[in-house]
Amino acid sequence: MTSPRQRATAEFVLDHLVWFMLAAVLIVFSLFVPNFFQIGIFANIIEQSTFVGVMAIGLAIVIIAGHMDLSVESTAALAAMLTGILFCARGIGLGITFTPEWLVLPISLLLALAVGGLIGLINGFFTIKLKMNAFIVTLASYIWVRGLVVAISGGRSAQDLAPSIRVIGIQTFLHVPLIAWIAIACFAIFSFIMSRTPFGRHITLVGGNPVAAFRAGIKVDRLMFISFILAGAIAGLAGWLLAIRTSGATANLGTGMLFNAFAAVVIGGVSLKGGVGRLPGVYAGVLLLSSIHTAINLMGLPAHYTQVILGLLVLAAVLLDTLKLQIRQRFA
Amino acid sequence: MSGDPLLRLQDITRNFGAIEALRGISFEVQRGEVLALLGDNGAGKSTLVKIISGGLKPTSGSLYFDGRERNFTSPADAKAEGIETVYQDLSLCTNVDVVANFFMGREIVKRYFGIPVLQEAEMEAAVTRAMSNAGTRIPSLRTNVEYLSGGQRQAIELNRFVHWGGKLVLLDEPFAALGVEQTRRGLEMIRRIADQGIGVIIITHIMAQAFQVADRIVVIRQGLVAGNVARAKTSPDEVVRMITGEAQLGTAQETRPNGPAA
Repeated sequence: MTSPRQRATAEFVLDHLVWFMLAAVLIVFSLFVPNFFQIGIFANIIEQSTFVGVMAIGLAIVIIAGHMDLSVESTAALAAMLTGILFCARGIGLGITFTPEWLVLPISLLLALAVGGLIGLINGFFTIKLKMNAFIVTLASYIWVRGLVVAISGGRSAQDLAPSIRVIGIQTFLHVPLIAWIAIACFAIFSFIMSRTPFGRHITLVGGNPVAAFRAGIKVDRLMFISFILAGAIAGLAGWLLAIRTSGATANLGTGMLFNAFAAVVIGGVSLKGGVGRLPGVYAGVLLLSSIHTAINLMGLPAHYTQVILGLLVLAAVLLDTLKLQIRQRFA
Repeated sequence: MSGDPLLRLQDITRNFGAIEALRGISFEVQRGEVLALLGDNGAGKSTLVKIISGGLKPTSGSLYFDGRERNFTSPADAKAEGIETVYQDLSLCTNVDVVANFFMGREIVKRYFGIPVLQEAEMEAAVTRAMSNAGTRIPSLRTNVEYLSGGQRQAIELNRFVHWGGKLVLLDEPFAALGVEQTRRGLEMIRRIADQGIGVIIITHIMAQAFQVADRIVVIRQGLVAGNVARAKTSPDEVVRMITGEAQLGTAQETRPNGPAA
C-alpha cells in the first residue's frame, strides 16, 4: 500500500513536525505581517526565547525521564532574586563586589546553579525516596519557592546589577545578545547529551519502561535524582539570565513562564507519557511561541490574545501526540 | 560435569508480610545443564527467579554462585556476575529502537575528552550480526520496538541474552507469546546455549516444553521443592502428580530430601 520511502517520509515529518510548523509560521508572518521580515525582529525572537527556552530544557529532561517538574519557574525566580539581593547596588540589593571585579560573574552563576540544584534535590528526595507523586511534589515547590522569593525580598525589588555581569546581557554577537547565545549553547550541549551519550539514552529508556531499565542494570533512582537536580540547576541558570537581562529582580519575576515552557515542551514533541522527545524540537517550540508573540505585538493586537493562542496550541500539540500513533499505524 | 555446581540454593525462604512465598528451597544447577522449574500458579516460581536474578532479597538462606556465596542487592549485581534473566512480561523499552534495546545499560561508548559518546554504527553492526546468527529477521533495526510483533520482541530478548552470554540464564515463561515455529526455534536456542557450558533455568508450566529441553526437572509446590528428578528418570504423569501434590515422597525426592518431614 505505502512504500518504505513514503513511510520514512511520513515518519520524518511526524518526528520533526514542529520545525515545519515554525517554518510555515515564519513564512506566513513574513508575507502578511507588516515589518515582520527584518533581522531585528528575528534577533528579538531569539532573544525572547532565552529564558523560557533554558527553563524548558530541564523541564523536557524530567518529562522525558517520565516525571514532571512544575517548580522550574519558581526555582528560576529564586535564583534571580538571590542574584539580585547579593549583587545589586540599589533596592534591597547588598551590592557585594569582588576584586578583580569580573569574579562576580562565575560566583553568581555558581550560586544560581547551586540554589536551583538544591530545589531539584528536594523535589527528587520527595519523589524518589518517599515515592510521592512528582506532580504534587513539584506543585508544592512551585508554591513554596515562590513564597520564599516574596518572603526574602519582602515584596520589594533589587535593581542595578553590577556592570561586570550585565555585560553579557548587553553585548551582542550577530545582532543577538550573549545571553541568547548561552541559551542556544545550552540547547546544543543538552541535545548532544540526550541523544549521543549513555546518560541521555538511559533517561529515555527509563522514561519508556523503568522496570526494563532497572532489570537491565540501569540505576533508575540515581538517574531520576540527577534529572531533577539538573532541571533545578538549569532553572537556576534561567533565573540568573533573567536577573541579568532585567538588571535586578522583582518578587513576581518570571510569573507565567512555566506555562510557556510547558507549552513549548509539548509543542516541541515531548510526550507526557515519557520516553519520547528531542531537545532541538523543544527549542523550535520556544521559537514558535516567541514568533507568534512578536507577530501579535506587531499587528497591534492586545497581548492577551497570545494566551488564547498559546492554550489552543498546547491543545493542538497534545491532540497531535495522540493522533501520531494512529497516523503511524496507517503507514506501518 | 564434575566439580562445584554453578548455582546452589540452600534453604531459601522469602516472606511477604505474613505470607510465606518460599519456605526453604534447595537445589543445584550444573554448568551446561538445562533445569526446568515447574509448579502451579502461586507456587513461588517467580519469587525464586527474582531472588536468583537479584531483584529480591531472600528472607533467609544462602545462594552460592560460581563457587562463592553471593548477596545480590540488585539485578545489576547479578548481571555483573553473569546471571542473565528473560522475564515473561518482556524487558523491552518500546519507545526506542532495536539497537538501543539490545544494548540497554551496556552501550558501546568511546570517550572523547572523558565524555562517553554512543557508538551507534558499531552497535548496529553487532545487532545485525547477532540477529542473522540466530536467523531472526527484523525489517529495520532502527524501528521502535512498539511497532514490532510479539514474536519479534521475544526474539530480541532471546538474542540479547545469547549475545551477552553470561554463566547462567533464567527464562521466566519465555514462550508465552510465541507461535509453534518460534517456540521450536527458541527451544533449540536454549539447547545450543547449554551446550556452550552455560547453566539454564527455564520456568514454564507447559509440560511438553520441559520434557523437550530439560536435563533435570525441579517442581516447586507451596514454596517447597516437591520434586527434583532427572528428565530421563521420570514421566509427565509423575511430574503432574508432584505439581498437584499427589506424588509419593519416596520417588519424588530422588536427590535431596527437602520437603516437609513426612
